[in-house]
Amino acid sequence: MRRAHLLGLGFMAPALLITGLFFLAPVILTAVFSFTSMSSGTGISGGAYSVSEQTIRELPERGFPQETADLLAKDVYRIDEAGLSDLSANFGEPFSKQVRKALSGKVFDGRKALVTEMKKLRERPRSVRQLKISADLFKRSILNIRFDSKAALLASVSDIGISLDASQQTILAETSYTGWSWTTDNYKLISSMPSAFRAAGNTFIYVTLTLSVSIGLGLLLALATFYLPKGQAAAFRAIWILPRILPPVIYVMMWKWLTWDTGFLSNFLLNFGITPRNWMLHSDINAWVCIVLINGFVGASLGMILFSSAMRAIPASMLHASEVDGANRRQQIWHIILPQLRWPILFTTAYSTLSLIASFDYIYLSTDGGPGRSTEVWALYAFHTALNNYGGALQYGLGAALALMLVIIGIGASLFYLRIFNFNELVAKPRIEQ
Amino acid sequence: MTILSSKLRQSTAAAVLALTAIAFAGDALAKDLTITVWAGGSGDNDVYRLDAIEMAADILSREWAVRGDELNITVQKKRDFAGWPEFKQAVTLAAESGSAPNIVVTSHTDIAPWSQAGLIVPVEDYVDLDAWPLNNIYDNLLEMTSYNGVVYGLPQDAEARPFFFWKDTMKKIGYTDEEIEALPTKVELGEYTLQNVLEDAKKAVDMEIVEKGYGFYPRVSNGPDYAQFYQSFGGELMDKETGKLVLDKKAMTEFYQFFVDAVEAGVTRKNHIGTEWDQWYAEVASGKAAIWHGGTWHYARYTGKEGLDDFFGNIQFSLIPAGNEEGHPNTITHPLAYLLTAQKDEEAVEIAAQLIKIASEPRINTLHAIKSSHLGITREQSNIELYANDRWASEATARLLPFASSQPNNLNYGRFSEIMFKGLETAWTGTKSPADAVAEVEVEMKALLGNDLIVR
Repeated sequence: MRRAHLLGLGFMAPALLITGLFFLAPVILTAVFSFTSMSSGTGISGGAYSVSEQTIRELPERGFPQETADLLAKDVYRIDEAGLSDLSANFGEPFSKQVRKALSGKVFDGRKALVTEMKKLRERPRSVRQLKISADLFKRSILNIRFDSKAALLASVSDIGISLDASQQTILAETSYTGWSWTTDNYKLISSMPSAFRAAGNTFIYVTLTLSVSIGLGLLLALATFYLPKGQAAAFRAIWILPRILPPVIYVMMWKWLTWDTGFLSNFLLNFGITPRNWMLHSDINAWVCIVLINGFVGASLGMILFSSAMRAIPASMLHASEVDGANRRQQIWHIILPQLRWPILFTTAYSTLSLIASFDYIYLSTDGGPGRSTEVWALYAFHTALNNYGGALQYGLGAALALMLVIIGIGASLFYLRIFNFNELVAKPRIEQ
Repeated sequence: MTILSSKLRQSTAAAVLALTAIAFAGDALAKDLTITVWAGGSGDNDVYRLDAIEMAADILSREWAVRGDELNITVQKKRDFAGWPEFKQAVTLAAESGSAPNIVVTSHTDIAPWSQAGLIVPVEDYVDLDAWPLNNIYDNLLEMTSYNGVVYGLPQDAEARPFFFWKDTMKKIGYTDEEIEALPTKVELGEYTLQNVLEDAKKAVDMEIVEKGYGFYPRVSNGPDYAQFYQSFGGELMDKETGKLVLDKKAMTEFYQFFVDAVEAGVTRKNHIGTEWDQWYAEVASGKAAIWHGGTWHYARYTGKEGLDDFFGNIQFSLIPAGNEEGHPNTITHPLAYLLTAQKDEEAVEIAAQLIKIASEPRINTLHAIKSSHLGITREQSNIELYANDRWASEATARLLPFASSQPNNLNYGRFSEIMFKGLETAWTGTKSPADAVAEVEVEMKALLGNDLIVR
């Protein structure tokens, strides 16, 4: 490899690192998560094998014999030699002796009963926690113990004298497992849930409408300011950039003040006899109008800047020549300016589509997908599912599957855009060096 | 016996090692410890959820000092979460990354998922439930903080969610003082139903006593309140026999239909969901709404921040009325619980357990109960003057608590309630008819809850 190549690689290294850390790694992790059943109920770090009342109820439904399930449901504490010697090793001989004298051979149903008896002994540990730990040394059942592995669970089951055949062992292990497992169910779920279809439809509406507003308005602003004197044009552009440079929370807050039923719009329209209403959330159409405008104004500023600078690059001589030929403003725009803006418009459309598909911040802050999920776009749907809902039922696996589909759509769209941009042509070698 | 006993011995050894220092140390012992407490859904009136832990830390340190040991506990308190979703997200993610707060104050319905995921440990392993003050806690509350027969948390407060009537408006639509006094009893007997609510609310709107949309003014966001209406129409949240969640399609449809009817009659706003809480509180506390529903803790807000001087002169309260023949008047109590998170430092868990035990002392809990207008957790609170002399606490307890039920501790209940509420929202806002909304709810619930759901 030539030194120049190494140097090039050296210059590329930071970019590669950043791509790896902030794009590839998250995407790979998302892909991995999406094939799991992870949720706030299973945890992320892995599960345990624990037979609980719930497990006992489920076992017979899965074909496990009822009598064996009933045996597993018992919570037995037996004062036997093994327990007594453990007790003496951990809590001292005097206490062990007292327990032997008072309780030897007895069997208790549940720890509470045993602890009640132990509390009567003078040599008992004085801390409640210690006392309960000492009682646990006599536990001869598996109810509510968290075992780290299937083998440990099954060995303990056979230790307490319950023998299971292979299929019963499998059922017991599967039912009592508290952690997540590998699965493709998330994708099946997505294809069967009406809310997912609605989210997809909403995303389509959101991207199309917002894009039209932001490109259209951006273009209009660029054209309007193009013909203005420099100072005025700069002032107008500065004002229209405000939505983009305002922190989203404040920008949306101002929209809320504008549209609340006690807000500016309602108060103003009251003068004309229109009853106050929440103009943002009154109906799904209101919500859509607000969301498209909120996002559209932010997008418009980007278009405006790009189009304005592209227009500046049009040689003034062409415009002067057209005026000499008697072209009016409309003809100038249509025949000279717009054709030369083809690439900036395409670029802005492509760039904005990609960022809109994945963005939900302004929607989250304004309607949060409401009313009734009518403005919940795919990205927000994924966020709600995986990380943010009232009940705290966070479904990491399902949310990751939703997010991964966005990534795939995003990459697909990027490839498509690269193709229509004819990227190779854009970055073709300058002819002067050939 | 090998594996089981070695498993037990293993955990015993670790625990004993960690605790030997506390229990058997002959010499005086000095210990510095930081305990973090996070409380969800807590406003300014709920400071004692956290302050009680600080008071408990003071008492515990003094107990140690009397014994000749030194214990310095720094309590780090946090309650400034944007809302319940943000709080639950924060706790879950912190716990997954190994930096969970020692104590969380949260809904009892979080116990099922968090205990299965191993994020919390059973409080019954650390404290003596048969000793003071825990033996004084109402048994039904302790049941609500248990899952699979294991007591995971200690109840932090109790409450009920009543219906409210603005007396002046009721008089103007034709009720006499006596009839208003008798209203709670009529609700309790099932003589005054949700249909009557619609009629009265419509009268109030038609007679222009309240503005359109202010006849019946419900809660503005998801919450246990809406499960009450499902029960009013005969819905059952959990099947007691199997522990499975129940989707009663008929009850669900009628419950949705009730809100659609309210919108159509002009007594409830179509865009009501999502109204700002501050606006909502100000409106109901000033008589802008005729009939609404809320929680016992609203009393503190109405009479405090909202400046309503004469609560009892202006407002009547009752159970949530029955919706139809199958349903019954009801209210849901949704106790918050102190939960202990799993920590590497066993000693910190032990001390956190001591703290929440002391914080459950009737006298300390009464400070929270009265300051925030929640209901007490222990029987003995009725003998504490501050509690006994509080008219709201005693009347609300007597009128509501005997009929209070709770939401089930089921692994999937969070999803269930989320889908139920989204369905309500789509019907309420007119996006779908109640029947279509319920059909979608059924598909979603079947897909997400699978075997854990019974459809009726």
